[in-house]
Formats: sequence, structure tokens, C-alpha cells
Amino acid sequence: MTTPVISLSGISKYFGTLAANRDIHLNVHGGRIHALLGENGAGKSTLMSVLAGRYQPDDGSIALHGREMRFTSPAQALESGIGMVYQRFMLIESMTVTENLLLAAQKKIGGSNCRRLISETAEQYGLAIDPDKYVYELSMGERQRVEIVKLLLLDADVLIFDEPTAVLTPVEIDAFFTVLKKLRSADKAIIFITHKLEEVLELADDISIMRKGRVIISTEADRKQISKRQLARLMVGRDVVLRVNKEEIPPGETVLRLRNFSGADVHGTTRFENIDFEVRRGEIFAIIGVAGNGQSGLVSAIAGLTRADSGEVSFAGSTFNAREWAKAPKDDMAYVPEDRYHTGCVGSMSIAENFALTQIGKYRKGATKLALDWQKMSEDGTRAVEEFKIKAQSAQDTAQSLSGGNLQKVILSRELSRNPKLFIAEQPTQGLDISATEEIWQALLKCRERAGVLLVTGDLKEVLSLSDRIGVIFNGRLLDIIDATDSDQIGRVGLLMAGVTS
Amino acid sequence: MMEDIVFIGQIAIKSSVAVLLATIGEIITERGGVLNLGVEGMMIVGALAGFAAGFATGNPYLAIAAGAMAGGALSLIHAFFTIKLRSNQVLCGLALTILGLGLANFLGRPLIGEAGVRIRAFAVPYLSEIPYLGEIFFQQSPYAYGAYILGPLAWYVMFKTRAGLVLRAVGEDAAAADAAGVNVAATRTIAIWVGGLFSGLAGSYLSLSYTPGWKETMTGGQGWIAIAMVIFCTWNPLRAFWGALLFGGLTALQFFFQATSIDIIPAYVLKMLPYLLTIGVLVLVTSSGKRRRSASPADLGVPFSRES
Repeated sequence: MTTPVISLSGISKYFGTLAANRDIHLNVHGGRIHALLGENGAGKSTLMSVLAGRYQPDDGSIALHGREMRFTSPAQALESGIGMVYQRFMLIESMTVTENLLLAAQKKIGGSNCRRLISETAEQYGLAIDPDKYVYELSMGERQRVEIVKLLLLDADVLIFDEPTAVLTPVEIDAFFTVLKKLRSADKAIIFITHKLEEVLELADDISIMRKGRVIISTEADRKQISKRQLARLMVGRDVVLRVNKEEIPPGETVLRLRNFSGADVHGTTRFENIDFEVRRGEIFAIIGVAGNGQSGLVSAIAGLTRADSGEVSFAGSTFNAREWAKAPKDDMAYVPEDRYHTGCVGSMSIAENFALTQIGKYRKGATKLALDWQKMSEDGTRAVEEFKIKAQSAQDTAQSLSGGNLQKVILSRELSRNPKLFIAEQPTQGLDISATEEIWQALLKCRERAGVLLVTGDLKEVLSLSDRIGVIFNGRLLDIIDATDSDQIGRVGLLMAGVTS
Repeated sequence: MMEDIVFIGQIAIKSSVAVLLATIGEIITERGGVLNLGVEGMMIVGALAGFAAGFATGNPYLAIAAGAMAGGALSLIHAFFTIKLRSNQVLCGLALTILGLGLANFLGRPLIGEAGVRIRAFAVPYLSEIPYLGEIFFQQSPYAYGAYILGPLAWYVMFKTRAGLVLRAVGEDAAAADAAGVNVAATRTIAIWVGGLFSGLAGSYLSLSYTPGWKETMTGGQGWIAIAMVIFCTWNPLRAFWGALLFGGLTALQFFFQATSIDIIPAYVLKMLPYLLTIGVLVLVTSSGKRRRSASPADLGVPFSRES
């Protein structure tokens, strides 16, 4: 093989005493797709941020085309042809596509030139974008295309993608893969960070797997020899169950029923209209949709955080109109919100305190019931930490010191311990790694035995693995409800998410 | 009747110049993502420096330059703390105001009651002969003419040039601007400094032209009005003109009611109005659907650090 475009040798990066990367050696070649696989916290993003000039390595060197380089800023790395598409897109939402590209192009291209260059580049790689649209008007897939065009305009020949498919719809993912293949045939070196195994097997020419800050294996992908199970074992360090075992449970009585439920999200911008569905005990009812199609407003209205405009809610035997519902008592309802860092917990408070927050009545003591039983609170917290194998030194650790997966386990266990009749889980595994996802899935399936579960997610795989019935939400409307056992219909879910009904 | 209106108009413009200049400056700073609550402090220091330089040299150009530079110098303290040390911008700005007021009070004591340079109003040929409007707008201090030009100029630079694009990018999303190769720290430092120059200039208008002389209370809260006006005109330098004129108009009405001893609206209510209107505009702006286009820079007040 030719000289690698990028050669990392002995890269180490520390954050305080934590080693994010330890002694990493890695070669990346032009015209190939290199998958960097690993769980959350394995150090993939840190390593790529070092390569892209965002972080400074504490040790080791980077060679580009065999010449040693040192980047002190993303701008310098870009100048040498190394560009990165971050997980959080680096676009300014209140500016147009053209303005964003002009900003990135710095002095290289002028205004009049820019439009022509944008359309030329976009056409060459099949990246259709409207240069006059504001970024906030664009879908995640379109924003990603803008990011790619940005790097191509700057003649990047190493393109790094940090979990590029996390925010895309299934249809957008296919389009993105086509673009990647075109980039590969244009002899670009592509690095692709992911923890989704199917993607690796479909696309990668080379695979490197990271675990705990080290690259544990770096190899050419031979699709005949590597199986998903092997990759998963290498990544996690133990065997993982990729298919959940779902027992048949006959559905029980209806826990939640919505009739013509309409309203808007907190900002009043995205609406949901005439939503009708029911959730029964013993089933997982999933609402799937691409972010921004009204599901977040719907969930907060069901949870009573916001008030819906009209419609009717039946919950545990009583019926309310939209106005009454917001104020109705919801002791039998548990809610795991999407934003686990802000809505789900109070970051600066301890695990034990957070654990007590949604059931504070349990901890009142004294004649006046004004005092709190801190002793009991701390005991319960400690028990939860042990029971759910939450990685923390004690229940007195602050919630914000936990990793995403462990924090989610705290919130989940707290809500489960309330013995709810309805359990609402909003994007419960977003951004979590395989082992945390696995545990959360198991917990949701177990919860189904006692309660009705409403799962709201954008993750198709999660829905297909867990749910009994699937409602697809698009543009504020529930397009269809599909039985998960109906194998003829199940293929439509991906299309419905993109708004294709026929 | 017409005479009264022209009189109120003239006073309105005269009273709005300092607020206008300071508002334009603060808009530039905030568009870069930095909140500087030290406007009042920078204005008073600019007022003192301008007066002192004029008093010592007798040269009006030096006096104006000294006023602006003093405001700029004080703003660099803010830049050092908020950008280099990433301190809390609100606290740092408040400290800057207290520092500026204290410093000017202390250093200016020997100058109280002295007579310095006076920058007089002059009529712009031809333009001032336009009936009514000419009298209102073009028989003013050169500072006013400067402000007429600087507002549109700031708007042009902000929205039509690459420098403006970079400035707004840093204020909207510093991380994205950084990824695009922009030097966030340098851009913000310049934005703060330019804001300081404007505040200093605004202060020197007060001590050289509006009420020539030195008095430690001469800014009288106009710096705070300017900060409110930034929100009132939704971070747009062109609208700053209307915001400042509103403030000037209310001030002029106070004078007018005093002079004619007509008391339709109590002076206290008039003094409150700029703040009340600002709150009203803020509510309107943030509740309208087009929020993303008109409301505050998204990264306003957020310190930037790459490794966090």
C-alpha cells in the first residue's frame, strides 16, 4: 500500500488526570473509508479533535503525507486539508448557507465566485443545497451536506465525520452513504466515527476499534470474515446481546387514551394536530419521527409540562379535557425526558437528592411534615446505585459528574421505583453506547410487565427491537399506527418518517 | 406651535447624541457576543479625558480623540477579564462602571468648575436651510453629524462586509466560527474595544459639546439607557437612531414642560418611559415568530473556550 495520508504515532491526550487517548498509532489512506469504532467515552471524538486541530495532543506526532505537522487551531488543520464534520454541526443557524460558506472560506473566495463554486461542488458530489436558505430552515441531512460542501470548498482531502448518521432519517442515511462513496472514488481519505456496527460492515475499507482510550485493533475490513458479533465483542470487551428477547404479553386495560389532541411545543413554533392513540398495560407503544415533527410538544403536553389547546385525555380511568389535564394529578405517570441533563435532573445535586425529587412526599417527616428524612433519602439512593450498577463512588456524587448512560440509569430507576401505570420514555438511549442501551432496553421491557410504556424516539432500530405498536409522526400528524408483528407493513415505517404515505 | 415643535426637535437631537453613539458601540460589542455593562463607566471616563485634554491643550481634535481613547482603554480591561480569564461578563461590566465612575470622580476633582474647550454647533450649508427639518437636524454639534454617519456605517460594515460577517458569526455561535477558522478571541477583543471607543466618544460629547465643563454626575445614567436601547433597537445600528431619538424626545419634552410650566405628564413618568418601552419591545420581539432573525446574538454573554 502507498504512504498513508495521515499517520498518527504515539498520540496521548489527557483531561486533568483522565487519559482520553493513550499512545495511539493509526494510519489513514486516501481513497478509503476508515471506520473508527468504539463505545462512548472510548476516546474517538477526542482523537479526531486532536487530528483536526481543535485539541492539542500532550504527546505524540501527526504526519501528513509523511511530513510531520503541528496544528494549533482548526483553521491550520483545514489549511493542510484536514476537515471535520462535528456531531454538533458547526453552522451558524441565523445565517444563510452562502454566508456560512463564505465565513469558512475566509479570503479564498469572493462573494460572486462563491455561488458558482458552491453549485459546482454540490453537483459534483450530489450534494444539492439551496445557497439562499437560512441554516435553521434546513433539515439535519441538508445541514450535513452544507458541512461537507464547506470542507470540499476548502480542498480538504481528509474528511472526518463524527457519528454522521445519528441525526439522519433512514432515507437521508442512504443518500449520505452515496455521497461518501463518491468522495472515496475522488481519492479522499474518509474517517468515520461510529458505534453502529451495520454501517461499519456496509461501508468501511479499514476498521480501527477503540476501547478505554486505546486503539485495540486496526485492520482491513474483510466483510466475509468479520461478523457484527465479533466487532461488538471487541468494542465492548464482552459478549453483548444485540437482539432483545421479548416475551409475549397479552395487553391489559387501556392506561392512556388521546382523542383529537392538538397543541404546540414550548416555543409555540412546532405543532401537533388531532393525535389519537391509546397505550395499554403490557405493551410498548412507540411514537417514531425525525426530530422537530411535533413529538416533543406532544410528549410535554402528555406529561403535563405544557398545556395542549384542545382534545381529550383519558388516564387510568378518568377523562379530562386538554385544559384540565395540565393540572390533573399525575402520580401514576413516570416520565424520562429527552434532555436528561436539564429536565431530567438537577446537575449540581447529589444522586440521592435527585432520586428523591419526583417522590419527595415519601421523605417528609416530623409533625408538621416540613422536615425531610435525609437518612432515608441517602439509603434509598445508595440502594439504587447498587441495584442498577450505576458507576459512581457513592450516592452523594453530583448528578452532573455521571456519564450520560449512568445518569440515564439514575433517572430511569427513579421513575421505575414510583410504580407508575404509564411510563413515558423520550429518546431514552440517544447518545448512549451499546452496553448502556442494552440495559435501558431491558429495563423498559421489564417495565412493560406492570405498566403501559410510551416510547418516543427517532431511532428506528430501537423501535423495531422494543415496540408492540408503532405510530409514525410527521409534520405534527400521526400518519399511521403499525403493528410491529405485521412484517408486510413494518418496512413502511422508514418511508412514513420521511412523509411518504403512498 | 411650529416653533415649539422645532424647539423640541432640536433639543431632542441634542439630547440623543451621546446615547446614540454609546448604543452603536454597545451594539458592535454585543454583536460579537460580549455583554459590556460598563458603558456608563466608559462614558464618564471619556467625558473626563476629553475635557482634561481640551483643558490642557486647547485643541478640540485632541480632546475628542482623548475621550474616545480613554473609553477604549477602559474597555480593554473588560476584554482582558472576559476573554483571557473568561470571567462573568455581567459582574465584570458592573465592576467597570463602578471603577469608571470612581476613577473619574477622583481624578476629575481639580477640574470642577474650570472652563475648557467648547465644541459649538454649526449649521451645515444648504441642508440647514431646509424648512423645519434643516433647523432640527443640521444646526447641531459636529458630534451629531458624526453620529448620523457612524450609524449607517456600522450597519454597512456589520451586514455587508466580511468583517461584519465574522463579527456576527462570533456572536451567534463562537464554536462554529472557530471551526470555520475565525480567531474568536481577537474578534471579540476588537469588538469590545470599538464599543469602548464609541462610549468614550459619547462621554466626550457631554463634556465638550452638550454641557461643556466637567461634573462627575454628567452622564446621569445615559450609559444604562444605551444598554436598554441596544435591546430596544434589536441589535440593529440603523434602528439605534430611532431608539436614541425616542430618549432624546422624552428628555426634550421634560425641558419643554419645565420651560412652559405646562405639566401634562409628570417628569418622572417621562424618565421612566425609555425603560418601559424597552421592556415592551423586548416582549414583542421575543414573542414574535421571526425570533431568530431579530433577537439577541445567540452566544451573547457566553465565554468561549475550545477545549470544553
